[in-house]
Amino acid sequence: MSWIKGIIPMFMKVLVFALVWWVMTNGALQSWLIGGGAIVLATLAAKKPATHFTIRYFKLVMLIPFFLKQSILGGVDVARRALQPSMPIDPILVECPLRLPPGSPQVFMTNMVSLLPGTLSATLENNRLKMHVLDQQSSYMKDYLLLEEKVAELFSVPVQNTGAGELL
Amino acid sequence: MIDFFSMLFLLAGALFFLAGTVGLLRFPDLYTRLHALTKADNVGLGLMITGLALQAESLSVAGKLVLIWGLVLLAGASVAYLIARGALLRGVLPWKR
Repeated sequence: MSWIKGIIPMFMKVLVFALVWWVMTNGALQSWLIGGGAIVLATLAAKKPATHFTIRYFKLVMLIPFFLKQSILGGVDVARRALQPSMPIDPILVECPLRLPPGSPQVFMTNMVSLLPGTLSATLENNRLKMHVLDQQSSYMKDYLLLEEKVAELFSVPVQNTGAGELL
Repeated sequence: MIDFFSMLFLLAGALFFLAGTVGLLRFPDLYTRLHALTKADNVGLGLMITGLALQAESLSVAGKLVLIWGLVLLAGASVAYLIARGALLRGVLPWKR
């Protein structure tokens, strides 16, 4: 019955590619002649998973409102600091040992940290993420740790205990 | 009514772009400027996209706008990382209060 397990992700891929094609062509009917072929080829090309981790697509969808919220909070936060006459910033570099395994989970985490309020990924090396923090008095660490747990859930891996981050 | 909300979103978006630009000019170093550019402009673009999507003549045009926003978000996060990494590896020290 293992082939059934492969059907659902494939169906999802076809659905996503079809949606993108529909959006790009504004739903022009004749375009589906080419679009149909393109969707089949794209699905075949995407057959090999980009990562050997199991991605929970449901969790991925559930992450969207979280990112939207964090992204808006981040934008409001930095806009406020830029516009305020006293310009309340107190930047610092922080190096954190990632609690995620190497590969996609770490890369995903690195990209998403830049969306959080007040943090910006700078380097990812030897399982350690160096990030630039706009205000060291802000509660950036709480958001960072929460995001890490959410990424772990997304890739269905446990969070490892790797110790605390350090200020540089 | 829709025009009113469109205007509201577009103006709010412009405010965030303005704030991002003010940050770019006022903030003291490369890293803090990256914060201003990536985060404020992401929200500004999101608001503008929302305002424009309300005016879209079909659902697929609105979808295209949202797709653009998502791609800009991803590209922005990756490029900001690459610039910050490049600067750090070249020994550009962050500004401190």
